[in-house]
Amino acid sequence: MEFSLLGAVALAVAAFGATLWLEAGRTNPVGSTRRLGDAALAAVLSGLLAGRLADMVAGGNNPFTHPADIIVVRAGVDTGFAALAALALLALYARHDLWGALDGLAPAALVGLAGWHLSGVFRGAWLGTPSGLPWAVAQPGSTITRHPVEVYAALALLLGALALHLRKRRTPLPGIVGAVALVVAAGVRLGTEPLRIGLGTGPEWWYAAGVALGLALLGWRLTRRPEAAPS
Amino acid sequence: MPPGWPGATLPLPSPTVRRYLIAVLALAFLSAGCGSAGVPPEGVPELPPTDYPALSALLTASDRPVVLNVWASWCIPCRSEAPLLRRAQAESGDRVRFVGVAVRDDQAAARGFIAEFGLTTLEHYFDPAGSIPAGLGAVGVPHTFFFGSGGVLVHHHAGVIDEGALALQIDELARREG
Repeated sequence: MEFSLLGAVALAVAAFGATLWLEAGRTNPVGSTRRLGDAALAAVLSGLLAGRLADMVAGGNNPFTHPADIIVVRAGVDTGFAALAALALLALYARHDLWGALDGLAPAALVGLAGWHLSGVFRGAWLGTPSGLPWAVAQPGSTITRHPVEVYAALALLLGALALHLRKRRTPLPGIVGAVALVVAAGVRLGTEPLRIGLGTGPEWWYAAGVALGLALLGWRLTRRPEAAPS
Repeated sequence: MPPGWPGATLPLPSPTVRRYLIAVLALAFLSAGCGSAGVPPEGVPELPPTDYPALSALLTASDRPVVLNVWASWCIPCRSEAPLLRRAQAESGDRVRFVGVAVRDDQAAARGFIAEFGLTTLEHYFDPAGSIPAGLGAVGVPHTFFFGSGGVLVHHHAGVIDEGALALQIDELARREG
Protein backbone atom coordinates (compact mmCIF):
# COMPACT_ATOMS: atom_id res chain seq x y z
CA MET A 1 0.00 0.00 0.00
CA GLU A 2 2.80 2.42 0.84
CA PHE A 3 4.28 1.96 -2.60
CA SER A 4 1.05 3.10 -4.24
CA LEU A 5 2.14 6.72 -3.85
CA LEU A 6 5.45 5.97 -5.55
CA GLY A 7 3.50 4.28 -8.33
CA ALA A 8 1.33 7.38 -8.70
CA VAL A 9 4.38 9.63 -8.91
CA ALA A 10 5.99 7.30 -11.45
CA LEU A 11 2.87 7.34 -13.64
CA ALA A 12 2.61 11.13 -13.53
CA VAL A 13 6.32 11.63 -14.28
CA ALA A 14 6.24 9.08 -17.11
CA ALA A 15 3.18 10.73 -18.68
CA PHE A 16 4.79 14.17 -18.35
CA GLY A 17 8.16 13.03 -19.72
CA ALA A 18 6.66 11.13 -22.63
CA THR A 19 4.61 14.15 -23.70
CA LEU A 20 7.62 16.45 -23.45
CA TRP A 21 9.67 14.00 -25.51
CA LEU A 22 6.93 13.69 -28.15
CA GLU A 23 6.63 17.46 -28.44
CA ALA A 24 10.38 18.02 -28.90
CA GLY A 25 11.03 18.79 -32.55
CA ARG A 26 7.34 19.21 -33.25
CA THR A 27 5.84 22.00 -31.15
CA ASN A 28 8.89 22.45 -28.90
CA PRO A 29 12.44 23.01 -30.15
CA VAL A 30 14.74 20.07 -30.66
CA GLY A 31 16.76 19.47 -27.49
CA SER A 32 14.36 21.34 -25.23
CA THR A 33 13.21 18.28 -23.30
CA ARG A 34 15.99 18.27 -20.74
CA ARG A 35 15.83 21.98 -19.95
CA LEU A 36 12.06 22.00 -19.64
CA GLY A 37 12.19 18.82 -17.57
CA ASP A 38 14.72 20.41 -15.22
CA ALA A 39 12.49 23.45 -14.82
CA ALA A 40 9.49 21.27 -14.04
CA LEU A 41 11.46 19.13 -11.57
CA ALA A 42 12.70 22.16 -9.65
CA ALA A 43 9.20 23.66 -9.62
CA VAL A 44 7.60 20.43 -8.41
CA LEU A 45 10.15 19.95 -5.61
CA SER A 46 9.61 23.51 -4.41
CA GLY A 47 5.87 23.04 -4.58
CA LEU A 48 6.04 19.82 -2.58
CA LEU A 49 8.17 21.41 0.12
CA ALA A 50 5.98 24.52 0.46
CA GLY A 51 2.75 22.52 0.27
CA ARG A 52 3.92 20.01 2.85
CA LEU A 53 5.04 22.76 5.28
CA ALA A 54 1.71 24.56 4.87
CA ASP A 55 -0.22 21.35 5.49
CA MET A 56 1.80 20.58 8.64
CA VAL A 57 1.26 24.06 10.06
CA ALA A 58 -2.47 23.87 9.30
CA GLY A 59 -2.66 20.47 11.01
CA GLY A 60 -0.93 21.67 14.17
CA ASN A 61 2.29 19.76 13.46
CA ASN A 62 5.26 22.05 14.08
CA PRO A 63 7.91 21.57 11.36
CA PHE A 64 10.65 23.03 13.58
CA THR A 65 10.12 20.58 16.45
CA HIS A 66 9.39 17.64 14.13
CA PRO A 67 11.42 18.23 10.96
CA ALA A 68 11.42 14.55 10.02
CA ASP A 69 7.66 14.78 9.38
CA ILE A 70 8.35 17.05 6.40
CA ILE A 71 9.37 14.11 4.25
CA VAL A 72 6.12 12.22 4.89
CA VAL A 73 4.37 13.79 1.92
CA ARG A 74 1.77 11.02 1.97
CA ALA A 75 0.15 12.67 4.97
CA GLY A 76 -0.86 15.72 2.95
CA VAL A 77 0.32 18.59 0.78
CA ASP A 78 -1.57 21.88 0.65
CA THR A 79 -2.50 22.20 -3.02
CA GLY A 80 -2.78 25.97 -3.10
CA PHE A 81 0.56 26.74 -1.48
CA ALA A 82 2.22 24.01 -3.55
CA ALA A 83 0.91 25.48 -6.80
CA LEU A 84 1.95 29.01 -5.79
CA ALA A 85 5.48 27.92 -4.86
CA ALA A 86 5.88 25.87 -8.05
CA LEU A 87 4.72 28.77 -10.25
CA ALA A 88 6.91 31.23 -8.36
CA LEU A 89 10.01 29.08 -8.78
CA LEU A 90 9.27 28.51 -12.45
CA ALA A 91 8.84 32.26 -12.93
CA LEU A 92 12.17 32.90 -11.20
CA TYR A 93 14.10 30.28 -13.12
CA ALA A 94 12.62 31.00 -16.52
CA ARG A 95 12.36 34.76 -16.07
CA HIS A 96 14.21 35.44 -19.35
CA ASP A 97 11.63 33.49 -21.35
CA LEU A 98 8.72 32.85 -19.02
CA TRP A 99 6.03 32.65 -21.71
CA GLY A 100 8.12 30.27 -23.77
CA ALA A 101 8.68 28.03 -20.76
CA LEU A 102 5.00 28.02 -19.82
CA ASP A 103 3.97 27.21 -23.40
CA GLY A 104 6.61 24.52 -23.66
CA LEU A 105 5.51 22.80 -20.46
CA ALA A 106 1.73 23.31 -20.72
CA PRO A 107 0.47 20.16 -22.54
CA ALA A 108 2.98 17.90 -20.76
CA ALA A 109 1.93 19.31 -17.38
CA LEU A 110 -1.74 18.58 -18.14
CA VAL A 111 -0.91 15.01 -19.23
CA GLY A 112 1.21 14.52 -16.08
CA LEU A 113 -1.70 15.74 -13.95
CA ALA A 114 -4.00 13.34 -15.80
CA GLY A 115 -1.62 10.49 -14.93
CA TRP A 116 -1.70 11.54 -11.29
CA HIS A 117 -5.51 11.53 -11.23
CA LEU A 118 -5.67 8.15 -13.01
CA SER A 119 -3.36 6.69 -10.38
CA GLY A 120 -6.23 7.09 -7.94
CA VAL A 121 -7.64 3.90 -9.45
CA PHE A 122 -4.89 1.75 -7.95
CA ARG A 123 -4.50 3.92 -4.84
CA GLY A 124 -8.14 3.27 -3.88
CA ALA A 125 -8.90 6.98 -4.05
CA TRP A 126 -10.83 7.50 -7.26
CA LEU A 127 -14.48 7.35 -6.21
CA GLY A 128 -16.57 10.32 -5.17
CA THR A 129 -20.15 11.03 -4.23
CA PRO A 130 -22.87 8.37 -4.74
CA SER A 131 -24.42 8.23 -8.19
CA GLY A 132 -26.99 6.17 -10.07
CA LEU A 133 -25.44 6.80 -13.48
CA PRO A 134 -24.73 3.69 -15.59
CA TRP A 135 -20.96 4.09 -15.33
CA ALA A 136 -20.93 4.65 -11.57
CA VAL A 137 -18.68 2.20 -9.71
CA ALA A 138 -18.98 0.52 -6.31
CA GLN A 139 -16.09 -0.30 -4.00
CA PRO A 140 -15.35 -4.01 -3.58
CA GLY A 141 -17.91 -5.46 -1.18
CA SER A 142 -20.18 -2.42 -1.37
CA THR A 143 -23.51 -1.81 -3.08
CA ILE A 144 -23.13 1.98 -3.12
CA THR A 145 -22.20 3.12 -6.64
CA ARG A 146 -20.18 6.31 -6.94
CA HIS A 147 -18.83 8.77 -9.50
CA PRO A 148 -15.37 7.71 -10.77
CA VAL A 149 -14.40 11.33 -10.22
CA GLU A 150 -10.66 10.95 -10.79
CA VAL A 151 -11.33 9.37 -14.19
CA TYR A 152 -13.51 12.36 -15.11
CA ALA A 153 -10.67 14.70 -14.14
CA ALA A 154 -8.07 12.68 -16.06
CA LEU A 155 -10.17 12.59 -19.24
CA ALA A 156 -10.87 16.32 -19.10
CA LEU A 157 -7.15 17.07 -18.64
CA LEU A 158 -6.18 14.78 -21.53
CA LEU A 159 -8.70 16.52 -23.79
CA GLY A 160 -7.30 19.88 -22.72
CA ALA A 161 -3.75 18.71 -23.43
CA LEU A 162 -4.71 17.48 -26.90
CA ALA A 163 -6.42 20.77 -27.72
CA LEU A 164 -3.40 22.74 -26.54
CA HIS A 165 -1.01 20.54 -28.52
CA LEU A 166 -3.03 21.16 -31.69
CA ARG A 167 -3.14 24.90 -30.94
CA LYS A 168 0.64 25.02 -30.45
CA ARG A 169 1.15 23.69 -33.97
CA ARG A 170 -0.36 26.95 -35.24
CA THR A 171 2.25 29.01 -33.31
CA PRO A 172 -0.04 31.24 -31.21
CA LEU A 173 1.20 34.36 -29.44
CA PRO A 174 3.65 33.52 -26.63
CA GLY A 175 1.92 32.82 -23.34
CA ILE A 176 -1.49 31.89 -24.76
CA VAL A 177 -1.01 28.13 -24.42
CA GLY A 178 0.41 28.43 -20.90
CA ALA A 179 -2.44 30.68 -19.75
CA VAL A 180 -5.09 28.34 -21.20
CA ALA A 181 -3.39 25.37 -19.52
CA LEU A 182 -3.62 27.13 -16.16
CA VAL A 183 -7.34 27.74 -16.75
CA VAL A 184 -7.85 24.08 -17.74
CA ALA A 185 -5.88 22.62 -14.81
CA ALA A 186 -7.59 24.77 -12.19
CA GLY A 187 -10.99 24.58 -13.93
CA VAL A 188 -10.97 20.77 -14.02
CA ARG A 189 -10.31 20.64 -10.29
CA LEU A 190 -12.94 23.31 -9.62
CA GLY A 191 -15.49 21.49 -11.78
CA THR A 192 -14.93 18.04 -10.27
CA GLU A 193 -14.56 19.15 -6.64
CA PRO A 194 -18.33 18.91 -5.86
CA LEU A 195 -18.14 15.22 -6.79
CA ARG A 196 -15.27 14.52 -4.38
CA ILE A 197 -15.59 13.55 -0.73
CA GLY A 198 -13.33 15.43 1.65
CA LEU A 199 -13.03 16.44 5.25
CA GLY A 200 -14.39 19.89 6.01
CA THR A 201 -14.14 22.81 3.67
CA GLY A 202 -12.39 22.10 0.42
CA PRO A 203 -9.77 24.12 -1.43
CA GLU A 204 -12.25 25.34 -4.08
CA TRP A 205 -11.28 28.96 -3.70
CA TRP A 206 -7.69 28.13 -4.60
CA TYR A 207 -8.91 26.57 -7.84
CA ALA A 208 -11.17 29.53 -8.52
CA ALA A 209 -8.16 31.81 -8.00
CA GLY A 210 -6.19 29.66 -10.46
CA VAL A 211 -8.89 30.01 -13.09
CA ALA A 212 -9.02 33.77 -12.52
CA LEU A 213 -5.24 34.07 -12.78
CA GLY A 214 -5.21 32.03 -15.99
CA LEU A 215 -7.98 34.14 -17.52
CA ALA A 216 -6.19 37.34 -16.53
CA LEU A 217 -2.96 36.11 -18.15
CA LEU A 218 -4.88 35.04 -21.23
CA GLY A 219 -6.55 38.43 -21.54
CA TRP A 220 -3.23 40.18 -21.09
CA ARG A 221 -1.46 38.04 -23.70
CA LEU A 222 -4.30 38.38 -26.19
CA THR A 223 -4.06 42.16 -26.05
CA ARG A 224 -0.31 42.06 -26.82
CA ARG A 225 0.49 42.64 -30.45
CA PRO A 226 3.28 40.59 -32.02
CA GLU A 227 6.54 42.49 -32.08
CA ALA A 228 7.49 43.90 -35.44
CA ALA A 229 10.05 41.82 -37.30
CA PRO A 230 13.47 43.50 -37.54
CA SER A 231 14.15 44.99 -40.94
CA MET B 1 10.63 27.07 -35.16
CA PRO B 2 9.45 30.47 -33.84
CA PRO B 3 12.14 32.74 -32.40
CA GLY B 4 12.40 32.95 -28.64
CA TRP B 5 10.84 29.51 -28.22
CA PRO B 6 11.59 27.65 -24.97
CA GLY B 7 14.70 25.67 -24.54
CA ALA B 8 17.06 27.80 -26.54
CA THR B 9 16.99 30.73 -24.12
CA LEU B 10 15.88 29.08 -20.90
CA PRO B 11 18.65 29.66 -18.32
CA LEU B 12 18.35 26.23 -16.80
CA PRO B 13 21.69 24.50 -16.81
CA SER B 14 21.33 21.03 -15.39
CA PRO B 15 24.10 21.48 -12.80
CA THR B 16 21.98 24.17 -11.15
CA VAL B 17 19.06 21.83 -10.84
CA ARG B 18 21.34 19.06 -9.64
CA ARG B 19 22.64 21.34 -6.88
CA TYR B 20 19.04 22.21 -6.02
CA LEU B 21 18.12 18.54 -5.81
CA ILE B 22 21.11 17.73 -3.63
CA ALA B 23 20.21 20.59 -1.28
CA VAL B 24 16.62 19.36 -0.94
CA LEU B 25 17.72 15.77 -0.35
CA ALA B 26 20.34 16.86 2.18
CA LEU B 27 17.68 18.87 4.02
CA ALA B 28 15.38 15.86 4.03
CA PHE B 29 18.05 13.50 5.39
CA LEU B 30 19.20 16.02 7.99
CA SER B 31 15.60 16.51 9.05
CA ALA B 32 15.09 12.78 9.32
CA GLY B 33 18.13 12.57 11.57
CA CYS B 34 16.89 15.22 13.98
CA GLY B 35 15.20 14.08 17.17
CA SER B 36 11.61 14.96 17.94
CA ALA B 37 10.73 17.02 20.96
CA GLY B 38 8.27 15.27 23.24
CA VAL B 39 5.22 17.03 24.63
CA PRO B 40 4.38 16.61 28.34
CA PRO B 41 1.19 14.52 28.68
CA GLU B 42 -0.50 16.95 31.08
CA GLY B 43 -4.27 16.65 31.13
CA VAL B 44 -4.30 13.31 29.34
CA PRO B 45 -5.32 10.45 31.64
CA GLU B 46 -3.57 7.08 31.74
CA LEU B 47 -4.62 4.99 28.74
CA PRO B 48 -6.57 1.87 29.74
CA PRO B 49 -4.72 -1.32 28.75
CA THR B 50 -6.46 -3.66 26.34
CA ASP B 51 -5.88 -6.70 24.17
CA TYR B 52 -7.45 -8.33 21.11
CA PRO B 53 -10.31 -10.22 22.88
CA ALA B 54 -11.30 -7.10 24.84
CA LEU B 55 -11.28 -4.94 21.73
CA SER B 56 -13.31 -7.52 19.77
CA ALA B 57 -15.93 -7.43 22.52
CA LEU B 58 -15.98 -3.61 22.37
CA LEU B 59 -16.49 -3.66 18.59
CA THR B 60 -19.23 -6.30 18.73
CA ALA B 61 -21.10 -4.32 21.37
CA SER B 62 -20.86 -1.03 19.48
CA ASP B 63 -24.14 0.26 18.04
CA ARG B 64 -22.27 2.72 15.85
CA PRO B 65 -19.68 2.21 13.11
CA VAL B 66 -16.12 2.38 14.40
CA VAL B 67 -12.96 3.79 12.87
CA LEU B 68 -10.09 2.02 14.59
CA ASN B 69 -6.65 3.58 14.21
CA VAL B 70 -3.61 1.61 15.35
CA TRP B 71 -0.73 3.97 16.09
CA ALA B 72 2.45 4.55 18.08
CA SER B 73 4.09 7.77 19.25
CA TRP B 74 7.43 6.72 17.68
CA CYS B 75 5.84 6.21 14.27
CA ILE B 76 6.46 9.24 12.03
CA PRO B 77 3.63 8.49 9.56
CA CYS B 78 1.23 8.18 12.54
CA ARG B 79 2.15 11.73 13.53
CA SER B 80 1.18 12.92 10.08
CA GLU B 81 -2.21 11.24 9.93
CA ALA B 82 -3.19 12.33 13.46
CA PRO B 83 -4.50 15.76 12.36
CA LEU B 84 -6.63 14.03 9.71
CA LEU B 85 -8.25 11.79 12.31
CA ARG B 86 -8.99 14.80 14.51
CA ARG B 87 -10.65 16.57 11.58
CA ALA B 88 -12.54 13.46 10.55
CA GLN B 89 -13.97 13.04 14.03
CA ALA B 90 -14.99 16.69 14.18
CA GLU B 91 -16.75 16.29 10.81
CA SER B 92 -18.47 13.03 11.67
CA GLY B 93 -19.92 14.10 15.01
CA ASP B 94 -21.65 11.22 16.83
CA ARG B 95 -22.38 9.19 13.68
CA VAL B 96 -19.06 7.35 13.88
CA ARG B 97 -17.01 6.24 16.89
CA PHE B 98 -13.25 6.86 16.66
CA VAL B 99 -11.01 4.51 18.61
CA GLY B 100 -7.23 4.73 18.82
CA VAL B 101 -4.94 1.97 20.03
CA ALA B 102 -1.33 2.80 20.94
CA VAL B 103 0.79 -0.28 20.34
CA ARG B 104 4.32 -1.18 21.44
CA ASP B 105 4.63 2.21 23.12
CA ASP B 106 5.07 3.61 26.60
CA GLN B 107 2.36 5.43 28.48
CA ALA B 108 4.09 8.79 28.82
CA ALA B 109 5.03 9.01 25.15
CA ALA B 110 1.58 7.89 24.01
CA ARG B 111 -0.14 10.44 26.24
CA GLY B 112 2.25 13.12 25.02
CA PHE B 113 1.28 12.27 21.44
CA ILE B 114 -2.42 12.63 22.28
CA ALA B 115 -1.78 15.97 23.99
CA GLU B 116 0.31 17.30 21.12
CA PHE B 117 -2.27 16.58 18.43
CA GLY B 118 -5.35 17.37 20.51
CA LEU B 119 -6.71 13.85 20.10
CA THR B 120 -8.34 13.85 23.53
CA THR B 121 -11.83 13.42 22.07
CA LEU B 122 -10.96 10.00 20.58
CA GLU B 123 -11.26 6.87 22.74
CA HIS B 124 -7.75 5.61 23.34
CA TYR B 125 -6.43 2.28 24.56
CA PHE B 126 -3.00 0.92 25.27
CA ASP B 127 -1.72 -2.35 23.82
CA PRO B 128 2.01 -2.62 24.69
CA ALA B 129 2.25 -6.20 23.41
CA GLY B 130 0.72 -5.38 20.02
CA SER B 131 -1.90 -8.13 20.32
CA ILE B 132 -4.57 -6.12 18.48
CA PRO B 133 -2.78 -5.63 15.16
CA ALA B 134 -1.59 -9.25 15.39
CA GLY B 135 -5.15 -10.44 16.01
CA LEU B 136 -6.42 -8.40 13.08
CA GLY B 137 -3.70 -9.78 10.82
CA ALA B 138 -1.81 -6.50 10.50
CA VAL B 139 1.93 -5.94 10.66
CA GLY B 140 3.56 -2.65 11.69
CA VAL B 141 1.89 0.73 12.14
CA PRO B 142 -0.18 2.65 11.22
CA HIS B 143 -3.33 0.77 10.28
CA THR B 144 -6.89 2.03 10.03
CA PHE B 145 -9.82 -0.38 10.25
CA PHE B 146 -13.41 0.52 9.43
CA PHE B 147 -16.07 -1.51 11.24
CA GLY B 148 -19.83 -1.41 10.79
CA SER B 149 -22.01 -1.53 13.91
CA GLY B 150 -21.77 -4.95 15.54
CA GLY B 151 -18.09 -5.22 14.67
CA VAL B 152 -18.36 -6.19 10.99
CA LEU B 153 -15.06 -5.34 9.26
CA VAL B 154 -15.83 -3.22 6.19
CA HIS B 155 -12.39 -2.02 5.14
CA HIS B 156 -8.77 -2.19 6.24
CA HIS B 157 -6.26 0.46 5.18
CA ALA B 158 -2.63 -0.50 5.78
CA GLY B 159 -0.13 2.33 6.14
CA VAL B 160 -0.70 6.07 6.22
CA ILE B 161 -4.19 7.01 5.19
CA ASP B 162 -4.78 10.17 3.18
CA GLU B 163 -7.71 12.53 3.34
CA GLY B 164 -9.52 11.20 0.27
CA ALA B 165 -9.41 7.57 1.35
CA LEU B 166 -10.39 8.38 4.95
CA ALA B 167 -13.32 10.56 3.90
CA LEU B 168 -14.52 7.96 1.38
CA GLN B 169 -14.47 5.10 3.89
CA ILE B 170 -16.25 7.16 6.56
CA ASP B 171 -18.91 8.12 4.02
CA GLU B 172 -19.24 4.44 3.08
CA LEU B 173 -19.68 3.45 6.75
CA ALA B 174 -22.25 6.16 7.37
CA ARG B 175 -24.29 5.25 4.29
CA ARG B 176 -24.21 1.52 5.04
CA GLU B 177 -25.73 2.25 8.42
CA GLY B 178 -28.46 4.22 6.65
